[in-house]
Amino acid sequence: MSRFLALVVQTLVAVALAPALTGFIRWLKARLQGRRGAPPWQPYFEIRKLFGKEAVVSHTASWIFTATPFVVFSTAVVVASLVPLVVVPSGPFVAGDLFAAVYLLLLGTFFLALAGLDTGSPFGGMGASREMTVVALTEPTVALSIVALALNAGSTSFSQIVAHTLAEPSAALGSEHLLAFAALFIVTLAETGRLPVDNPSTHLELTMIHEAMVLEYSGPYLALVEWGAALKLLIFLALAANLFVPWGIALSFSPVALLIGLVSLIVKLAVLSAAVAVLETRVAKLRLFRVPELLSASFVLALLAVMSTFLAR
Amino acid sequence: MNALFSQLVMLGSSGMLLTALIVLWRKSVPSYISAYRWQAWLLAAVTATVAYFAGDRQLFAVAAALVALKGFAIPALLRTMQQRFGAQPQIKPYVNTETSLCVAGLLVMFAYVLARPWMAVTHLPTRGGLPLAMALLFVSLFIIVSRRKAITQVIGFLMLENAIALLAVVGTYGVPLLVEVGVFLDALMGFLVMQIFVYHIHETFDTIDVEQLTHLRH
Repeated sequence: MSRFLALVVQTLVAVALAPALTGFIRWLKARLQGRRGAPPWQPYFEIRKLFGKEAVVSHTASWIFTATPFVVFSTAVVVASLVPLVVVPSGPFVAGDLFAAVYLLLLGTFFLALAGLDTGSPFGGMGASREMTVVALTEPTVALSIVALALNAGSTSFSQIVAHTLAEPSAALGSEHLLAFAALFIVTLAETGRLPVDNPSTHLELTMIHEAMVLEYSGPYLALVEWGAALKLLIFLALAANLFVPWGIALSFSPVALLIGLVSLIVKLAVLSAAVAVLETRVAKLRLFRVPELLSASFVLALLAVMSTFLAR
Repeated sequence: MNALFSQLVMLGSSGMLLTALIVLWRKSVPSYISAYRWQAWLLAAVTATVAYFAGDRQLFAVAAALVALKGFAIPALLRTMQQRFGAQPQIKPYVNTETSLCVAGLLVMFAYVLARPWMAVTHLPTRGGLPLAMALLFVSLFIIVSRRKAITQVIGFLMLENAIALLAVVGTYGVPLLVEVGVFLDALMGFLVMQIFVYHIHETFDTIDVEQLTHLRH
């Protein structure tokens, strides 16, 4: 019973932390660019404000448009309950593995693209087609980096992968580990709409991807979509942190271990989001036709990771 | 101990392979030069690692020479070469970036398959680096044949030379110091000759696009 409770609390912590993570990246970026910036907890105010507003829905919109925010948010919450954040989920009530987590998140993306098309606005269609291009190109990389991790550990379940890395610390320095991490990091940037692929701080720009799809949303719907996107970023960063550098994660359900797990999670997320902020300050957005080059580079990284585990034995 | 040794060698060799992939991916010559510099540093690090774990004192001297020659001297020469040409109009390679990267992935796979029998007979802790060194060899060859700028081809050649050095280090724990010194001199001379050649191409054709060499001049 206490296991179940710990997992529920862990999921709630992730859901509660997600806006702060987005806010932290925005704040750090502002500081790096010499601006004062809004405080890290600004997204909470935004979400509260949006929940208080009326939702305006286009006449031409179908049920997909209203259902999408719930799908996006709920898939993100379900995935948050599957992945190792503070503690590694295990036991009879945990059904998902790495594949389930990644493809549940893609389900949300798929619905978001449908909703972008649904209202028939030109921006939405453009955003949806771009998003599908990017997702189709990240797909092989995601699958290959999962295979690289799973080949090492002999299983795709999170607990096995984490246990394997903890048991063999020198494996974390292995080339396949680092290559898969680099590939997954590039994929994270592409899937969560961060800078070299998509600009997260823009609201009206011809080249936007994620913002173009959600342009028609307002009020509570927009709040759910934004919250879901923030949660997705948190999940991807936490996955990158805990699968490749699992030290500090709670292995038992004792309060001390859980506390250490929480602190180490926050530290790892802070380090990774600082890396994202520095990267976003240094690089410019890629032209849309150069995005495939970046993603094929990440694909080759993942391919190398698989080869150095699979063919070298 | 041996596990850490082979892990470090693998890491260094993979890093060297990645620097070759950067040349396929990026478009500016300064980034190629820094990729080459990184590769030279990594080669020196791998050599020093082998020297430390195998207890070979001569290899330390080789690593120091590598840092001096390929880590500092050749990148500096490359940079002066690049500055002399100034800003060049963008020259598209024969093979576009996405295809090049995928071809590089295939070449790496080919290298792994090719190195399998070799890895089966050797019991050195460094054998994990063998397929990576072969892959670096193939990828550098691919850089030479698929790029049109003369300076990029020169960098591809230098990377090929690095690949052979890496192969010697991980395959046989390095060759005798005397041979190594001879190879260094050869590489440096080869580079200087190529530099003069590229300058001549630039003076005659006002570009370093090697495609121009196939046409008759006016």
